[in-house]
Amino acid sequence: MAGGDRGDGRPRSKPSGEVRPNGLELVLAEVAKGDHAAFRLVYDQAAPAVLGIARRVLRDPAQSEEVMQEVLLEIWRTAARFDPSAGSAAAWIMTVAHRRAVDRVRSEQRAAERELRAATASIAYDEVSDAALTSLEHQRVRRCLDGLTDLQRESVTLAYYGGYSYREVAQLLGVAVGTVKTRMRDGLIRLRDCLGVE
Amino acid sequence: MRARGAGLHTLVGAYVMDAVSEADRTSFERHLLTCEQCREEVRGLREAAARLAEAAAVSPRPELREQTLQAAARIRQQPPLVVSQKRRFPVGRQWRHVSRSAGAGARPWLARVAVVAAVVLAVTATVFGLHLSSMQGRLSAAERRDTAIATVLGARDATTLTAKVTTGGMATVVMSHRKRALVFIASGLTRLPAAQAYELWLMSPTGETPVGMLPPARRGMSGPMVVDRLGPGEKLAMTVEPVAGAGQPTSAPVVLVALGS
Repeated sequence: MAGGDRGDGRPRSKPSGEVRPNGLELVLAEVAKGDHAAFRLVYDQAAPAVLGIARRVLRDPAQSEEVMQEVLLEIWRTAARFDPSAGSAAAWIMTVAHRRAVDRVRSEQRAAERELRAATASIAYDEVSDAALTSLEHQRVRRCLDGLTDLQRESVTLAYYGGYSYREVAQLLGVAVGTVKTRMRDGLIRLRDCLGVE
Repeated sequence: MRARGAGLHTLVGAYVMDAVSEADRTSFERHLLTCEQCREEVRGLREAAARLAEAAAVSPRPELREQTLQAAARIRQQPPLVVSQKRRFPVGRQWRHVSRSAGAGARPWLARVAVVAAVVLAVTATVFGLHLSSMQGRLSAAERRDTAIATVLGARDATTLTAKVTTGGMATVVMSHRKRALVFIASGLTRLPAAQAYELWLMSPTGETPVGMLPPARRGMSGPMVVDRLGPGEKLAMTVEPVAGAGQPTSAPVVLVALGS
């Protein structure tokens, strides 16, 4: 059972006006045809989350903005390659965003800086994010994160928000590498079930 | 304890969160090719991870919006990988179907397929790793191809087909019917004289369409090449042609792969 407080495990359909509209996939199809108005919609829908994850991973505001713009432009360029059968548009965009943020961190961040981030990363998920945009989503995710075991939650947040590899996470938490791998998987599965995504 | 497969499978969480080394990524993606269940799990966990990103959303500075939109206006979008106009050309009897295997059962050739696919993926990973901070709006051919490869390999219905090349070597096709696209890669092809090259064709009952010249092999691997806009019932063929390419095949194919419908 997922750690959430919902008996049925699945949340009701999402309220409108939330960050994940049903139509993002359709909008992307228009972007693929070069529709600038459609791209504006994608920007408005996706940029806050893309910037958010870049900020969590990179910390540096200027670099995060750069990554956000790169990711959005990448979406613009490659919209024709988006495959709805492989997942939602949001998942696609966030996968691109997270990967790019992590790549940048791994290539540019010096060891000393990484040590410094270690101190802050574990509490990163607790930061207040933009209330107007994400309060519902944020609360739901937070509630689901709270439903994880401590080790699952720390493993997931250090990896996803901190941008650490599982080996680094193992070192930071002082547990075996195999344990961290398992907790990351279990934690994400629990999160998935709690959030009612498929 | 089950051995390798199970060990690799626990990597799925770390993989989805980009918490793996390039080596891990490559071996996990190789594992993914033969594990439909794992691909399904990756998809689900990616949705969950995306929600973590959305929960972290912050408002960008307003001026970034116009900047980004204006930058987009100067950027050429990735064009579809167009297969040129169909030509009418009768298909003779000599187009022999060499071999075709579908699915992901535990067959002898599978190990070889996996190796080939791993190389494709390694190429993908390398290119992804290289274009970190390119804000200039041009997308290289390699990047275009790269995204297309990832799209095909990531498709829900990705299927791997292999065929022996009659003149030596092995061709591997990973294709997605839903995406109407495929990735072609060949290994161990016979080296051709400088004036000749391998050319790929899409063949339908009504004729064939040149797809492109296979680039020279590197470390024994030729490709990957992406072919999209596939039609139903088409076959992929490779022939030996003058290095500049031919408008229509001048020799019998050295490999022919039925793509199914």
